[in-house]
Amino acid sequence: MNQNTNQKMNPEKYEAYLKATHRLGRAVSLLTLAMLLGAPFLIGGLLGAMPDLGAAARGFLSVGLVWMVSSIVEYLVYTPMLGAGGSYLAFITGNLINMKIPCAMNAREMVDAKAGTPENEVISTLSIATSSLVTIVVLAVGVALMIPLRPVLESPTLQPAFANVVPALFGAMAYKYFRKDVRLAAVPLLCMSLLFMFVPSLTSSTSFMIIPSGALAIGLSWLKYRKLQKEEQK
Amino acid sequence: MSVLDQLNGSGIYLICGGIVLIIAVICVIFLVRAWRAGKALGMDTVKMKRAITSSATFSLLPSVGILLGVIALSGSLGIPWPWLRLSVIGALHYETQVASAAAEQVGIALSPEAMTTQAFATIALLMSVCIMWGMVLATLFNRKYAKKLQGKNPDKKTGVGFGDMAMIAMFIGMVSAYLGSYFGGFVSGNGLFTFSGDWSPLLVAAVAALAMAGFTWLAEKKHWDWLDNFSIAGSMLLGMLSALLVGH
Repeated sequence: MNQNTNQKMNPEKYEAYLKATHRLGRAVSLLTLAMLLGAPFLIGGLLGAMPDLGAAARGFLSVGLVWMVSSIVEYLVYTPMLGAGGSYLAFITGNLINMKIPCAMNAREMVDAKAGTPENEVISTLSIATSSLVTIVVLAVGVALMIPLRPVLESPTLQPAFANVVPALFGAMAYKYFRKDVRLAAVPLLCMSLLFMFVPSLTSSTSFMIIPSGALAIGLSWLKYRKLQKEEQK
Repeated sequence: MSVLDQLNGSGIYLICGGIVLIIAVICVIFLVRAWRAGKALGMDTVKMKRAITSSATFSLLPSVGILLGVIALSGSLGIPWPWLRLSVIGALHYETQVASAAAEQVGIALSPEAMTTQAFATIALLMSVCIMWGMVLATLFNRKYAKKLQGKNPDKKTGVGFGDMAMIAMFIGMVSAYLGSYFGGFVSGNGLFTFSGDWSPLLVAAVAALAMAGFTWLAEKKHWDWLDNFSIAGSMLLGMLSALLVGH
């Protein structure tokens, strides 16, 4: 394919396509940002209760910073793999690690497109756009089917399950991340458990406790990294 | 009318559905442009079709997994908002965690009984703000970043850097803080070291972790790779179901 493409390729046309993709990408990203940030206020207006900006700011300082760092890393790592069109779309539609990245890599391998080439740009965009559309359709159909099930989902019998959605998430994530480094995980887990046992009032500020806990884990990880580096040098 | 009834109101469906529709149109525009560009570049249309069909089939199972996430969040946030959040930018682990942190800041737990309309609007805003950075960076830097990368092979890796280890450590720290709070809640929730606090979060977390271990074992040892698509949502739902058994 590469040989065939190179024979017919018009570099100027491709450059013009890329330029237009960046223009379009920026415009639709700004539109999506405006819609996402506007929706809570629009919904708030509809419900007669606007967001509490102070609480949102405090929430951002506790948990938002963690996700901001994570987003920056994702951006730096995945943009080169996805190309221009693919990365704009992927950051708009989300589910990068669990779907978009492996999907685009799979499509790329299937057609043997090399990273950084015009073929990769086209294939990545086709792949991510298709993947996003499939998710949108599946969720829309699923939501339509869920509407008649609302009385069941909201029945008092099921409420204990929905009240425990957060512990369920952290249980699943604990297995996923702790197994990557059990010894490292033991220290922050023990420290945090003891802290909450001695100062139980901290339970209402759990999201803030992510900061010292994360800092402790990252500090330990840094020590391990340095040790590994020294061992490699030897 | 209950708060959940309001969160499932037709107005909110219209707002969320409208945004999802616009995102779908954006995807179609990118798809058509890429197809035309591929043809103009002389790419084989059979291979482009293959890329599209393989991506569609590849995405079906993970999308069902994401739908399970909508079900998990619908009990406390209604159906339309989780539908929007998981269709646009979101990811289940992120949405649940940020929603919980936002609920904490407005002084409630993320549960159907505690939800208020203002708490919901605040949670919705924080969920949007916390996840938008990839899109912000793409808007500001994609063009310059693409130029900088020209001629470099992005697939080439130069060993494990500290960045990878730091990301894992950050998530370990986050999970430790929440699990620690569940231990603390049980041990000292009703008075220091009385061991009479709420133990249901511990049970739910343990069941979800066990379920995750089971999913991982099946995916890795039995090579049921497709099961990976359901591991987080499936583990969460099993953990949540265990709460029904103890009735907390």
